[in-house]
Amino acid sequence: MSHTDSLGNFRPKDAPEYEDVLQCMRCGFCLPTCPTYALTGRERSSPRGRVALARAVAEKKLEFTGAVKEEAFFCLDCRACTTACPSGVKAGEVMEVCRSQAHAFYPLGAMGKTFREFILQRMLVSPDLLEHSMLPTRLYQRLGLQWLVRHLGILKLGPDWMAKAEGMLPSLEKPLRPQLPEVVPAQGEKRGRVGFFLGCVMTLLYPQVSRQTVRVLSHQGYEVVTPKATKCCGAPHLSEGDRQTARELALFNLDLFLSQEVDWIVTDCAGCGAALKEYEEILAEDADHHRLALFRAKVRDISEFLAAEGLRTEGMKEVRRSVTYHEPCHLCHAQGISNQPRQLLKAIPGLELREMAESSWCCGSAATWGLKYSEESRQVLDRKLQNVTATKADILVTANPGCQLQLAWGVRQADMPQEVRHLMEILGEAIPD
Amino acid sequence: MISKTAIKHLKEKLGEKNVLHEKEDLLVLGYDSTPGVHHLPEVVVYPTSTEQVLAAMEIAAREGLPLVPRGSGTGLSGGSVPVRGGMVLTLTRMNRILEIDEENLTATMEPGVITLDLFNAVAAKGLFYPPDPGSQKISTIGGNVAENAGGLRGLKYGVTRDYVMGLKGILPDRSLITTGGKSVKDVAGYGFKDLLVGSEGTLGIITEVTVKLVPPPRDKRTFLAYFNDVRTAGEAVSRIIAARIIPSTMEIMDRVTINCVEDYVNIGLPRQMAALLLIEVDGHPAPVAEEAAEVRRVLEQVKAAEIHVAETAEQAASLAAARRTALSALARVSPTTLLEDATVPRSRLAETFGEIERLAAKFKLKVGTFGHAGDGNLHPTVLCDERNHDEMERAHAFYNELYEKVLDWGGTVSGEHGIGLAKKEYLARQIGAGGVKVMKRIKQSFDPEGILNPGKIFEDQDSGAEQHLEEGFRVSH
Repeated sequence: MSHTDSLGNFRPKDAPEYEDVLQCMRCGFCLPTCPTYALTGRERSSPRGRVALARAVAEKKLEFTGAVKEEAFFCLDCRACTTACPSGVKAGEVMEVCRSQAHAFYPLGAMGKTFREFILQRMLVSPDLLEHSMLPTRLYQRLGLQWLVRHLGILKLGPDWMAKAEGMLPSLEKPLRPQLPEVVPAQGEKRGRVGFFLGCVMTLLYPQVSRQTVRVLSHQGYEVVTPKATKCCGAPHLSEGDRQTARELALFNLDLFLSQEVDWIVTDCAGCGAALKEYEEILAEDADHHRLALFRAKVRDISEFLAAEGLRTEGMKEVRRSVTYHEPCHLCHAQGISNQPRQLLKAIPGLELREMAESSWCCGSAATWGLKYSEESRQVLDRKLQNVTATKADILVTANPGCQLQLAWGVRQADMPQEVRHLMEILGEAIPD
Repeated sequence: MISKTAIKHLKEKLGEKNVLHEKEDLLVLGYDSTPGVHHLPEVVVYPTSTEQVLAAMEIAAREGLPLVPRGSGTGLSGGSVPVRGGMVLTLTRMNRILEIDEENLTATMEPGVITLDLFNAVAAKGLFYPPDPGSQKISTIGGNVAENAGGLRGLKYGVTRDYVMGLKGILPDRSLITTGGKSVKDVAGYGFKDLLVGSEGTLGIITEVTVKLVPPPRDKRTFLAYFNDVRTAGEAVSRIIAARIIPSTMEIMDRVTINCVEDYVNIGLPRQMAALLLIEVDGHPAPVAEEAAEVRRVLEQVKAAEIHVAETAEQAASLAAARRTALSALARVSPTTLLEDATVPRSRLAETFGEIERLAAKFKLKVGTFGHAGDGNLHPTVLCDERNHDEMERAHAFYNELYEKVLDWGGTVSGEHGIGLAKKEYLARQIGAGGVKVMKRIKQSFDPEGILNPGKIFEDQDSGAEQHLEEGFRVSH
């Protein structure tokens, strides 16, 4: 902050930096990249408009009104505007901060508060609780109730989002975390020691993906350490505007991974990767700068890591399929990783990569956005699915569990032939047992 | 204040979601891309047809509201800022391309069509729409016409005006007009089509545009030349023109701009160089080869530090795209980016660079300069902080002195951004009191009540736009 650090009508804690909103020169380059602007054509639902609203609050021209809150949550936080902005404005991050402000200005009622706190501050911070909470869902699926519910239309009675949430759930296996050995040895010539950051959604909903990630890493010559104590990365908390819990989780994970003496910290969840890479900003005032820099220097997305280290391809099996690649926002926009996943796909023998149009346009999932704004989410998704269909590829590949849930759901709903797979599942398929 | 009944009527005529009047919507439609000017409208409408534009205008007239038409708001002279409040008419939802006529080589469309969308639609039919403002990805055709937008290909292909063949619109008295059309030759009466182009929304609201298309150039060669000092780059431009070559593009960036752009695009622009020129020659293959050889010879003669030729179309496109980000990328350096549109006869280019350097030093300002060197259209940009009043004063003094020189040299105060709010005083200096008087009479004959985009280009009768500006600052004194 420079000489004018007036926060205007913002609450002092976790307010946007005034400099960040002044940086916007309103050129409009962000407008064509914004999914919510594309949906509404309404300036205030564009990155330029949202930053202008934040600036108006900072300059006391506007109270933190209900509409500001609405826009903060209506933003997908897909960061496409960050990629597009030549001036370096981070409208998505400004909106994340505004979400936290929104909770200060508009506290939830007792019920809502208890529920929110239970989810964010009890469930998501405790891997054990999270895993047990999935048990009823697994039973429900195992006993065939899911079939009944889906086919008898019971869900039509509930609110839209419940039906969609139910429809999105993949067939669940047991969570991966308790099954995975803390240390998996390297195969062949050892290339280093990797700390694997296992995300919550990955262990609960996509254990088969992360199992492949660990297997691939080990096959590639890395000793893989997956600390059992790992907690949620904090991304859901940032997304919901609970910056305090996000900071506590970040501090915990920072200490945990730095104590493991690993050369790298790798994740196969784009959302987790983006959050881990932003610990430096979240913890700027709470942690030692040197340790933050050390941590940041080690964090890699799995595709970024393997592409940089060089994939050992000898002995790989052929995968004779055609794939198209959807870029998760938190990979391409938040982390700037776009080419690496393609590089890995191209390295798989027999695999054909067919580019889709607008591969980096959001799929409309965006944490809980897809549930809160189910109609809008559907429209964003439809644009994506049309682009997928045009490629006629056999498989739709992505690299983030949120996207995978949304895309798999969309493909099922639209009766499309594509399988939806994580990049690591495809790579795992090419690697012999 | 606009009445509740008027809002109700607007919603009936235009539909609920096309009429916005919450404070948050008004706040974000009170600006364009011009720094320091912001004023709230009372209501914003998004008509989707000519009938709706007319209906909105009727209601505005009944309520006595000033009317301010607007596209995507990428303007750089404050042309669409509603300084007197009133109704902002946003035309972005009238965005259909109505016809691409391959026999007459024209395209007809609604004003809200995005410039790049038009370009792509005609390119798909093997045709070419040459005007290409830097903001083509988001600017609208209507806005381009109203501001007579220029761009990167202005040198050889001209500006928007050179491609507008016909317009339909509504005058402030709500009469519908058609001017021009598909006929290549048309000398029927006063040419007020050309008056509407560049009228900055002060004479009429454009509801349909017909533009001329041309066959695309068959071949193209793109050069990137680096220089150890800016004046040599200016000299290279003059010498290329003197060698009777008209490149389609001849763009310049100075060191400050190169660095900001490189921070954003990361394509390996050399940060230590004082200037770069992006030069493109296009046309039929044989002359292109000849002209390219000549350009290279001139560049070698003036001792450019490095000369590169783009090897692929993608490479050439990425260089042009990088250049397009120049202005916005400069905004990385400081909170406020004040840009001008000084344009000189090409032979004065090197001197103009000298003058910008001298004045930047005199007023202790950080200035980045880029622009369309080939047509003498430069954008010296002061990188400052609007909260620092002393610095803002110095910035104004800088532009004042610069424009003195530009006008002495027979230049113009605006090459492509228009006068809007930002350059009203400079305009009077350029065209004199007589010129302003004629312009005012023209305005009066189109808009006797002064309801259309009041306070722009020059002071109108009941002056006082300034006191309506919010606190902060004005771009010019």
